[in-house]
Amino acid sequence: MKVSYNELQSLSRKAFLGIGFSEAQADDAADMVCWMESHELNGLVELNEALQRILADDNHTKMPELLYQDADLAIIDGHDMSVLQCSHLALELAFAKARARGLGILKIRHCRQRQLIMGYLARLAHRGMNITALWRHAQTPLTEQVVGFRANSTVPSIRIYTLEEVPDENKLNTGITVIMANHVDLLPTMRSDYQYDLLARHEESELLAIEVRRRASGDGFDVPSQLWEQLKALAQRTFVESFDGSQLGAGPLG
Amino acid sequence: MLDMATLNTLGIRPPNVVMDLERLGTLSASRLSFTRCLLRQMARQRWQITTQRFDLDREGYGSAIYRLQTPNGRYHIVIFSQELTEEKRSDRVIADAWDLTFGVVEGDVEDALMESLAENLPLQEAGRQHPQLLVISRANKSKRNFEHFVEQLASGEQPNPQDLKTAGYLYRTTAVYGNGKFGIKDYFRLRDNLDFRQPFAAQMIALYVLRQFSIDQLEHIAENRAPDTAIKLNSDIQRFIGIGNSTGLGMAPFLINHPLLINHWIHCREQALAIAKVSTVDEAMQNRFVSLCVRALGYYMESDIEDHDQAERNRIVISELETVVSWLQQVPCEDTLWYQLTDWAEAALSLETQELLNSLLIELCPEAVEQLEDDQLVEESMELIPDMPLIQLKQIIETQFDWALSQDLDEPDERYWFWYRSIEKEEPRLGVRGVDQGVEKELSLAIGPRVQEVYKLVSEYLEDNATAVTIEFLMGQPRIVDAVRRIQSMSNTAYGEIRGNLWHRNMKPMHLLRTKLAFLGASRFDPLGDRWVRVTFFQGAPSIAELNAEPLDLVEFDDWSFVNAPNIQERCP
Repeated sequence: MKVSYNELQSLSRKAFLGIGFSEAQADDAADMVCWMESHELNGLVELNEALQRILADDNHTKMPELLYQDADLAIIDGHDMSVLQCSHLALELAFAKARARGLGILKIRHCRQRQLIMGYLARLAHRGMNITALWRHAQTPLTEQVVGFRANSTVPSIRIYTLEEVPDENKLNTGITVIMANHVDLLPTMRSDYQYDLLARHEESELLAIEVRRRASGDGFDVPSQLWEQLKALAQRTFVESFDGSQLGAGPLG
Repeated sequence: MLDMATLNTLGIRPPNVVMDLERLGTLSASRLSFTRCLLRQMARQRWQITTQRFDLDREGYGSAIYRLQTPNGRYHIVIFSQELTEEKRSDRVIADAWDLTFGVVEGDVEDALMESLAENLPLQEAGRQHPQLLVISRANKSKRNFEHFVEQLASGEQPNPQDLKTAGYLYRTTAVYGNGKFGIKDYFRLRDNLDFRQPFAAQMIALYVLRQFSIDQLEHIAENRAPDTAIKLNSDIQRFIGIGNSTGLGMAPFLINHPLLINHWIHCREQALAIAKVSTVDEAMQNRFVSLCVRALGYYMESDIEDHDQAERNRIVISELETVVSWLQQVPCEDTLWYQLTDWAEAALSLETQELLNSLLIELCPEAVEQLEDDQLVEESMELIPDMPLIQLKQIIETQFDWALSQDLDEPDERYWFWYRSIEKEEPRLGVRGVDQGVEKELSLAIGPRVQEVYKLVSEYLEDNATAVTIEFLMGQPRIVDAVRRIQSMSNTAYGEIRGNLWHRNMKPMHLLRTKLAFLGASRFDPLGDRWVRVTFFQGAPSIAELNAEPLDLVEFDDWSFVNAPNIQERCP
């Protein structure tokens, strides 16, 4: 079904609150999903995956864990949570380090639906930070994705490629590495001694064009009915069932 | 906007005065209200509104389409009128059928779109609405006025304008939805739309055109009922008809959830007031102000308000305004006249009179105020400042949120209410803490208690981490990130936070509703208890015929605040 941006943002937010996200987590997660979908980067597919994973996990009290930090580097264990749950504060931490030191590095280990992190990176870039993020999609063939935001830009450059030569150390890697720099462009440029195949390449201009086209067209999002119903059901957890007293706020009886 | 130094020189009022919830609850519409801004824009840009379809049966049921042509685009206001039984007629937000349903369409209305609108608009929240719609709404007839007016016109008599004193309208809307609700167009997509980029402009045009439909339908039914005797409604009475609106708690969260926008609106109003107070005072200006006061006096004297408390407040305004008029007619015309007036009002007059006088003062400097009109837009975006020293966050709370820290939340009365969202149409409601169910699902609308929580945790953390920055603290406190983000974002603003405890037993939601309604441009506030209010929009505003005539005198066209009932000497035209 077709829904507006505001509907998707608002219902996702309520659904995340219904799951048990904090207010800020729910706000940010909803924004990340909407940003991705607005740029035709499969936000809803990632959302659907995230929901199934979150709902299948019995432990709703898990929190990301700060494993190590110094002035320049932070390492977080995401405990296999979605980036919707475990990334926003970690990214703010890296942002603060980059502001203080010129360069900040963040590694989040064990996290899911990593594509969605672009939604929050866009906000940080908009606040004047140059950012590059890198993660691996698969080990065989080894597939990597690099995303680069220019400071103050709302859209990234994206490269996804496979490497034919697999390094000796090739364990399952569900982590993500983020580099932020105050003053230096970190846009991805493919330069490698290894043989690689470029699978996908999105330029800033392309994504900007999508942003402009979607805004002008006024078209909403096509959301699968099943996903929409699931979001509604989760959102309902935040509502209070009707009782005699609750009718008092519904308007004058006369 | 003016910079702070200029504002301080102008003597702009401080937030501890302006943002007091009770004071905000006495605001009146002003020249900066959105209805006024919209009509000025329409006249300036020569907008034209014409009837494209008026397909009603003898009883007034059917559909109508009005075309709106602006220099930048074309829109249509589509209205469906249906028969409604008395049992179904309700202003409650949980109603599911109405006399009228209507919407504003961007662009043309092709047959397929009309079909989709006919299918979905009457369902309102229960339908899937078309993305070409900017606004959807619904309205019910004013029982006391509509049938009486039809009878009068059918019998060849003009209705008595005094009948509009209690309810100044033929139809009353209940909810006016914009911004992507139920599938309609998102507000952010209107940012580049020169016609409707201002806040609530699309909602206001819907009400303005509905007002015309209410008159057209009235005349149509009277004509069909008695073709030989029916007459048209007198044009002065037409002007005196507005559109009603019935509003409840649903409006309250908007003010809390859009602090940057509220800051902007109030800042504009305060700038306008400050500019007016330093404006040159001459005899003409003094006389103009007296005439505005006299007209407002007439408006208050004519208002027939059912609510006892509001009626009493109106009586006080009348008494005080009479004194003010008498004073103004006797004091010399001095440069400090407006300061003398506002100082006196602050010291001795009721809040309602003070804010009424402020609204009237803003009328005195139209050119300066118009420069502020475009300033009422702002993007509601809050970002964390993760590297802010934590001690600075504490200092900001102590400096700018002292009002929040002063709330004694150990007192049972201070934590009496809680806000929640009901499953019924997902509307916000108030529950009594410890009595009503749902407290575990409380909405975090009360900012004061959240600030206190942040302050306590920050203070504790600083004891062992004196040089920490905000993000270091928040890594261990993820549940308060939203509150910290808000405190930081609001630190550069003066007027975003409403200074009241929304949990307090004596808190009146009505004050929140009136604040927003005044900015929209509502008049004749008639509360029904503390959680519900009926108001009127566009009463006294120029008609569509006057707009289409392309008025030359735009100052006169804009001069319709606090309208008095027309004096109809000849009851027959």
